[in-house]
Amino acid sequence: MTPTLHTLAPVPDPDAVLGGLAEVLDPELALDVLSLGLVYTVRIVGGAVAVEMTLTTPGCPLHDSIAAAVERRLARVEGVDTVDVTVVWDPPWTPASMTDAARRTLGFD
Amino acid sequence: MIPPAAGRADPPAALPLGALLVGTLALAAGAAALATRPAVLASAAPTPAFLALTHAVTLGYVALLFAGTLQQLLSVLLVTRLAWPRLGTVTLPALAAGSAAVVGGFARGFEPGLLAAGGTLVTLALGATALQAVRTLAGASRRDAAARGLVAAAAYLALTAALGFLLATAPHLPPLARLLGYPVGLHLAVGLYGAFLLGIAAAGQRLLAMFALAKRTHAVRLRTLTGLVHAAIVAELLTAFAHVPLHGVATGLLAAAGALQLWEVTALLRVRLRRRLEPPVQRYLLAHAFLPLAGVLALTGHRPGAGIDLLLGFVVLAVSGMQVKIASFLTWQGRYAARGGAARAPLLRDMLLPGLEPLTTVGLGAGAAAAALAASLRSEPWANAAAVLLAIGAWAQLIQTLAIVFGRHASRAGRAAGSAVPKEHA
Repeated sequence: MTPTLHTLAPVPDPDAVLGGLAEVLDPELALDVLSLGLVYTVRIVGGAVAVEMTLTTPGCPLHDSIAAAVERRLARVEGVDTVDVTVVWDPPWTPASMTDAARRTLGFD
Repeated sequence: MIPPAAGRADPPAALPLGALLVGTLALAAGAAALATRPAVLASAAPTPAFLALTHAVTLGYVALLFAGTLQQLLSVLLVTRLAWPRLGTVTLPALAAGSAAVVGGFARGFEPGLLAAGGTLVTLALGATALQAVRTLAGASRRDAAARGLVAAAAYLALTAALGFLLATAPHLPPLARLLGYPVGLHLAVGLYGAFLLGIAAAGQRLLAMFALAKRTHAVRLRTLTGLVHAAIVAELLTAFAHVPLHGVATGLLAAAGALQLWEVTALLRVRLRRRLEPPVQRYLLAHAFLPLAGVLALTGHRPGAGIDLLLGFVVLAVSGMQVKIASFLTWQGRYAARGGAARAPLLRDMLLPGLEPLTTVGLGAGAAAAALAASLRSEPWANAAAVLLAIGAWAQLIQTLAIVFGRHASRAGRAAGSAVPKEHA
């Protein structure tokens, strides 16, 4: 008798999710949202990914574009069914959130 | 899934972009016309040709860019929905057509029909834009000093147009002329300081903070600057209509406002995180060097030179710098935002022809300085030099704007040195 095979939807690989975030660039600063320290939390529950992030300046003209880019990029990661991006202003972004490489790219120590 | 962040329903980007393009075309056309008769700079007298050229810059370029940019920038600054988002489809073409008629009316030797038609269109268009700005501000929950200053600048721009319309009409309506006099000083003060200085200070504070990553802006300085401009314009109003001799007081207040703007920009630069600023931002900063020069020219009795220095040096240089940033942002939003995250979208700076930026900055900057000298010294050689330099700068700016809006922009694979996934995240 051939057993019935039940397969669960693949859970997204956390590294692939973070890799996707690292491809979303701020087109003004030429740095990705991870290096800039804009992403506060990433929650992966099954195929649902929830991202809490901020922007360098409240009222940034690129607000909608960057949030939408994060959603679109993560939706292409294997195993991701839904993406929920929330932009928050508390805590506010500070340069301390950036990686050393990003700080060097922007020209300050 | 996208948060209702700003909750905005902005007008299509084509609307402000169209205003930017038509405005830059007006600047380039004005510069080309100046090159054919540079002597008007040396006289700096209110001749038809001089008035046509100055209005090509003030109405055709600066006012159109300001009104077009408001259609996007105001909702961003106020984090709210723009009131009457389709209004720009009427006001911006009306402003462009009205500006062309006003310039044509002056160029044809104060042609009354063109001046009346153009003045009406410009006044109505800028009046409606000011009402739109006030309505947007009234509906916003967050009203900071920058947004308030920008709305006040929109109101002053409408007042400038109305005063200009009165000035053009007065010679044909003697009773009106007797009633109001000929308040040309008021028209200049409201336009140069109320609309342009305040607009540049308000929008520039926020934009410079954004482009330079300056994290500590001081609203108190901008609020004080706004208050000084308001007080100076009240003093000019009293001088013009109540014949109270307060022109000197107004000049002092405006000088203090200019000094505050210098202080604010210097303070922002001191706390900026981004050390290397892009060429258009550098041009915006360079514009501020013309503020003290205007003060020196005014104090030494060269008022026409000071006015030209303020208009071409401070206003045009600052606006042309921010224009490049705004045009690239609007074009990116319209053409590439949907690709964001796909690593194929160009960066904003990839959309520029970098070789043109020095040409624009040197052409407009050196041209403005030469024009101010030409007017102050009544020197035709300086006027000739100014005309050539300004034409180079204005046409470089036009080509840059066309390249941003219509060019094919290549993205740079692996372009950002800091874009690799950092170890702590991977």
